[in-house]
Amino acid sequence: MAITRKPTKAQLRRQKMEELVMYPLDWLEERSGLVGGVRYFLFRNVPADINWMQTLGSAALTAFLVQAITGVILAMYYDPSAATDPATGKPVAWESIVNITDHLFMGWLVRGMHKWGASVFIILMFLHMGRVFLFGAYKYPRELNWIIGVLILVMGMMEGFTGYLLPWDQTAYWASVVGINLNGTAPFLGPWLAQFLRGGQEIGGETLTRFYSLHMLVIPGAIIALITLHLYLVIRLGVTSPPWSKDAAGREPVDEPSSARSGLTRPVPHAEPGGRQ
Amino acid sequence: MAAVPKEKPSRLDENRANFARYKEDVKKRGKPFYPYAMFHDTIMSLVVVCTIVGLAVIWKWSAFGPHHDPTHKGLLGPEVDPPADPGTTSFVPRPDWYFYFLFYLLRIFKWPESVFLGTVGVPTIALMLLIGLPFLDRRRERRISARPVAMVAAVLTIVSMGVLTWKGATAKEALASEVKADIPRWTSQENLPPAAHAGALLFATAGCTACHTYAGSGGSNLGAPDLTDIGSRNLGIQFQINHLKCPSCVNPGSPMPKFASLGDSRLHQLAVFLEASKGTH
Repeated sequence: MAITRKPTKAQLRRQKMEELVMYPLDWLEERSGLVGGVRYFLFRNVPADINWMQTLGSAALTAFLVQAITGVILAMYYDPSAATDPATGKPVAWESIVNITDHLFMGWLVRGMHKWGASVFIILMFLHMGRVFLFGAYKYPRELNWIIGVLILVMGMMEGFTGYLLPWDQTAYWASVVGINLNGTAPFLGPWLAQFLRGGQEIGGETLTRFYSLHMLVIPGAIIALITLHLYLVIRLGVTSPPWSKDAAGREPVDEPSSARSGLTRPVPHAEPGGRQ
Repeated sequence: MAAVPKEKPSRLDENRANFARYKEDVKKRGKPFYPYAMFHDTIMSLVVVCTIVGLAVIWKWSAFGPHHDPTHKGLLGPEVDPPADPGTTSFVPRPDWYFYFLFYLLRIFKWPESVFLGTVGVPTIALMLLIGLPFLDRRRERRISARPVAMVAAVLTIVSMGVLTWKGATAKEALASEVKADIPRWTSQENLPPAAHAGALLFATAGCTACHTYAGSGGSNLGAPDLTDIGSRNLGIQFQINHLKCPSCVNPGSPMPKFASLGDSRLHQLAVFLEASKGTH
């Protein structure tokens, strides 16, 4: 029989503390399974040979988060109205942008980050896509995630198109006039789409509020949903080793006959290290 | 029952076996996402945020000063452009840089024969190919040296997008002041009657030459046709006025903006000028 010793005061205090910390976590886990989910996310294994290029996806996510945060701040001060301010004779939307840039505390930084963050986001999405292509990481069973990624890229570019008009300046106005007209040249849906984007016969106040709504509610909502799916599939399917890795996860056993290989016109020496899985 | 000969496993069977081996391998020999991968991700994210802040700071401080003056551009362009004015059309429509490749595509295809290819055809096909990539390339092979077709296609795509973006970025813009200086040359080359001079001046300053070329002046953009000998088609003054007021009403699918804001008398002047343009001699 084990000797039961009375716990010391310090031990008791520690036990109590542990219970106190764990209680809300246990409560949450019992009701949602979220704690286990987060633990799985953090401590799941990834191939040991992953490389710096594989940070581009999370880098694009970071750029998106910067856009989301700065966008929320801008939305607090921006006024999507094409009406003319009677005091100055300038459009209200344009004035609110000038106000954010010149008079709001750190407004120039928030607006600058949002404007340039858009370019960074687009570049990172393209680089991430290039990495996935180079690694052949769009192949079985990750086809669906490639498609979701392409949709996020398209949505990102639509964010660029709708956001460009919001400062309501000359460049934006005329680029949007032509951009909407170009949408209108598409067969079947084109004229309808152009009409919907304009909100009338002419580009004006209706167009601005429509673009604003699309830019800060509809498209970002879709992007967030798509990113969530994208990440779910990344976690479920795992990330690939670089194809040139000598120690790629899931590489074929070296002593297996090469007849299992498919799709090549010439035989490949089977002893060659393969970056496939 | 006859003995079934042992068949080569199907591609799907191979894929499944491969993926199962990958999963097992990662479980056995991988390393945990936290802290290893997360460390790299965090560093990269910091670099991203610093880059964005850096760009914002450069934008602000290099354009510091009277930055509502559009001539004061700084390193990354002016902070604020002049406000939108539907009445002034003398502005070159220019999208954000990541649309330059589409923008420049419309210089290659011309209205009306092939502009459809530039606006819808090529982008749609490109997007379809991009979405369909995993189904076009179904081999299991991932090594770069064993995927020559994919690599050549990738290089061609990157080069063509890069060239189009670069061309779009450096495309010549028709400045009203430069185009205005060409009017005497137009008058002599096209034998323009005095009645067409007011229209020629409007044509040079109202933004027409942002997209249309005329007797060697102006920049070709967005698929807009050359107007050097538009008058030889004898479309008539009334057609020209109607077209300027609402291009897509007359030519369905035309991406040209409406110029109704110029007013009837000025539209008439423009129409006279266009009808008088019978080509250079």
